[in-house]
Amino acid sequence: MGKSISNTLQSFFLWELLKGLRLTGRNFFARKITVQFPEERTPKSPRFRGLHALRRYPNGEERCIACKLCEAVCPAAAITIESEERDDGTRRTTRYDIDLFKCIYCGFCEESCPVDSIVETDIGDFHMENQGDNIITKDQLLAIGDKYEKRIAAARAEDAPYR
Amino acid sequence: MPTFEIDGNTLEAEEGTMIIKAADDAGIFIPRFCYHEKLSIAANCRMCLVEVEKAPKPLPACATPVVDGMKVVTRSEYARDVQKSTMEFLLINHPLDCPVCDQGGECPLQDQAMAFGRSVSRFTEKKRAVDNEDIGPLIATEMTRCIHCTRCVRFGQEVAGIMELGAIGRGEHMRIGTFLDRSVDSELSGNVIDLCPVGALTSKPGRFNARSWELVNHDSIAVHDCLGSNITIQSNRDKVKRVLPRSNEEINECWLSDRDRFSHEALVSPARLASPMIKQAGNWQTTDWETALRFAADGLNGIIERHGADQVGGLAAPGSTLEEFYLFQQFIRALGSSNVDHRLRQRDFRNDDITPDHPSLGMNVVELEDADAILIVGSNIRKEQPLLGSRVYKAWKRGARIMAINPLDYEFQFDTAYKEIVPPNDMIACLARTVLQIVDGATAAHVKRYTEDSAGRTERGIAQTLEAGGNKACILLGDVALNGDNASILMSLAQQLGEASGVCVGVLPPANSVGAWTAGCVPHRGAGAESVTADGLNARAMLEDPRRAYLLLGNEPLLDCGDPRAARRALSDAELVVAITPYDVRETVDADVMLPVTPWSEMGGTFVNCAGVEQTFEAAVPPFEEARPAWKVLRVLGNFCDLDGFDYVSMADVRAGIPNPEGNPVWGFTQKRWGEVSSDRTNDDIDLVRITDVPPLRIDSTVRRARSLQESRDNPPPAVNLNSEQIKRLDVAEGGVVQVHAGNDTTRLPVVRDERVPTGCVYLPAGFSETAILGAATAVRVIRDI
Repeated sequence: MGKSISNTLQSFFLWELLKGLRLTGRNFFARKITVQFPEERTPKSPRFRGLHALRRYPNGEERCIACKLCEAVCPAAAITIESEERDDGTRRTTRYDIDLFKCIYCGFCEESCPVDSIVETDIGDFHMENQGDNIITKDQLLAIGDKYEKRIAAARAEDAPYR
Repeated sequence: MPTFEIDGNTLEAEEGTMIIKAADDAGIFIPRFCYHEKLSIAANCRMCLVEVEKAPKPLPACATPVVDGMKVVTRSEYARDVQKSTMEFLLINHPLDCPVCDQGGECPLQDQAMAFGRSVSRFTEKKRAVDNEDIGPLIATEMTRCIHCTRCVRFGQEVAGIMELGAIGRGEHMRIGTFLDRSVDSELSGNVIDLCPVGALTSKPGRFNARSWELVNHDSIAVHDCLGSNITIQSNRDKVKRVLPRSNEEINECWLSDRDRFSHEALVSPARLASPMIKQAGNWQTTDWETALRFAADGLNGIIERHGADQVGGLAAPGSTLEEFYLFQQFIRALGSSNVDHRLRQRDFRNDDITPDHPSLGMNVVELEDADAILIVGSNIRKEQPLLGSRVYKAWKRGARIMAINPLDYEFQFDTAYKEIVPPNDMIACLARTVLQIVDGATAAHVKRYTEDSAGRTERGIAQTLEAGGNKACILLGDVALNGDNASILMSLAQQLGEASGVCVGVLPPANSVGAWTAGCVPHRGAGAESVTADGLNARAMLEDPRRAYLLLGNEPLLDCGDPRAARRALSDAELVVAITPYDVRETVDADVMLPVTPWSEMGGTFVNCAGVEQTFEAAVPPFEEARPAWKVLRVLGNFCDLDGFDYVSMADVRAGIPNPEGNPVWGFTQKRWGEVSSDRTNDDIDLVRITDVPPLRIDSTVRRARSLQESRDNPPPAVNLNSEQIKRLDVAEGGVVQVHAGNDTTRLPVVRDERVPTGCVYLPAGFSETAILGAATAVRVIRDI
């Protein structure tokens, strides 16, 4: 009996609406945390695992030696490598494909790499427009590495003491 | 039998068994590098040190025989300690380049370093580095990685029979290398890759190509010799990457010849035929299966209608499978022809009607190494049948006396007690004189016609040795004996000699010849050696008496037939040549249609080895592009030609129709045929007797397309091989080009000094297009090029 009276009164005085408006009002005057992506970005950990890249040595030589450890460790089998002996007698890949749809961004590839060649950059926003674009090739990976080398190196340096 | 204890397990073993062997048999692992079951004990890596009760020091398990009451502990703290210390010493100079090392992932050193190694090195001094030697196109070296276990050295000494690798220097300066900067050319050299416990010796053709963990294993059988070695084909993403031996004590033990190991390079080479092709108006056109099969079937039917079925001839490569042979002969016979053969190089068919059901070694492969006396007739057994050669070497090491009657002084790994190096026809006289040492009476009268001379020391010695050997002796007939112009006489003489001295006679036929005979791929016998009503033409007659249509199964007559000149003419004159082949053979075969088929790696099949062991295998990888297994192609071709009995659904259906080969029958003719010796000279003064054989790496289409094998030293380019005396007599220059005339045909080739060739002879290898023009000429004239 008492409950139905209280329900009726609450409906009559729009009590629920006022409760909602109280929350709206509180947030209306609070400090905003929304960032204007992509112009504004939140800070990221140097350990952020995003788009992959293949790095080079300062002299321009690609680091990857086709040891295939990343291929072996990849839990999603996203990496495909083919290798051969290059003319100068070194061990090199002829194919290094990563399927970004298969990849689960676990970072094992980066951890397994004995020469710090394959890395996961802090790039978290990328897209594909055509079918098949999800597989990025060795050339694309090297290009990403070349473009973001400074950032990659800085992130690695920042994290180095904890490795 | 001593009773002893290893890690608390009470065990028993034969007197003299080493601890490591007893532990292996009991499933207890003791770390090791230098110990190998098939090699002698070196005890130089010290990794297998174990604790033995009452012994003052740790003892190497590989070199300590078990003793009654012995108590061995392999995992005590003390044993672990010495094992760890040994590992630390081994790793002192070992580079840390596992990521680029091909051995990585299958490396005993890597594995055992995980178990026995320290995580941090205490070695701060300078590391040793060793220069690499180029030891040929098959083995890559990285000698800094070597831990001096000397397995490769011992393999050369004990199994291959030639010590090509050796240890030079001592202590820190010790290194493994060839003594004279030569390459490693043994026909078994690839086995050191398997033996090397580190990445010092790795496969050069497969260098940096694959990782052991990504390879998928498929059991298969090797096809290039009559032994049928057991192999494992390893593939990655449906491509054959590597071939390894599979242990079978009865056949190949744990070894594999280089030819079988590296021939897979051809399977992924650009030489493969991707889709059916038809030649129209002189131009080759790629087409689909339907069109190509229709073209072949219509062509065959047309020729049969116009000229009769006997105008069709079928030549099969001896490396085909049992099922392919069976369907091939069934197809040819269903067309109404009996011209089907696989004995492409054979020249003498005079005893066809009395041959046994199929060729045979006459004994088990293992029995060969127990022989006390072995007579090799016309065979370079070391290169022809590498692992049988290795068995002969084992017999020789045991004290067996090996004898040889050969046209070339082949370089064997064993010494011969007696050898006679004579021109091919004189081999008959030599064998006849040997026979005359033992037989007399009526048989002797037959044999006497082949020789006028009395026996020399060699013949007497051979006869005596064979007689003394008795049932532990054998006579082996090889390539040169079986494919000579007078093979039937040689075989009869060999059998006579065998019967008279009580020794067994065996032949060393190419590849799957036993399977071919079993399947009836010969003109005068059906499957299971059944007699057939219509006698067809054999391989030689088919080419010398040209047919209008030829079916070629996996061969290139120009390089594979005994008379390439006749083959070339026959094929170019023929109206239709259907080449059923895994490779693009446009350069060597004048074909009209090429049907791509799968090699052994891409289909199942059966091989029967020279000892009658039947071995079936499955496909390792899917067919390349449009290629299909030959049995399917022949089956559909049968349907296209409207022939009955071509409704096979599976390979098992085909197999069901073929009778099983008899296991290891004794080889021998029902009677002996004493034919006339065909002369090998036209003009004694000027002509040289031509000696020919097939170089070991020119024997079939696959081997000829395996790049690394072709670059190896076992495969010299074609040349006029003369001994130095003959070079002087002919007044030609070593290395200079000369003309070789056979009748009206001439070829120009460089002169190579080859002391293996007897005077009055010239060695011109078969299996090259350069020597093909000489055909089967047995006498040639060599003159200086003007």
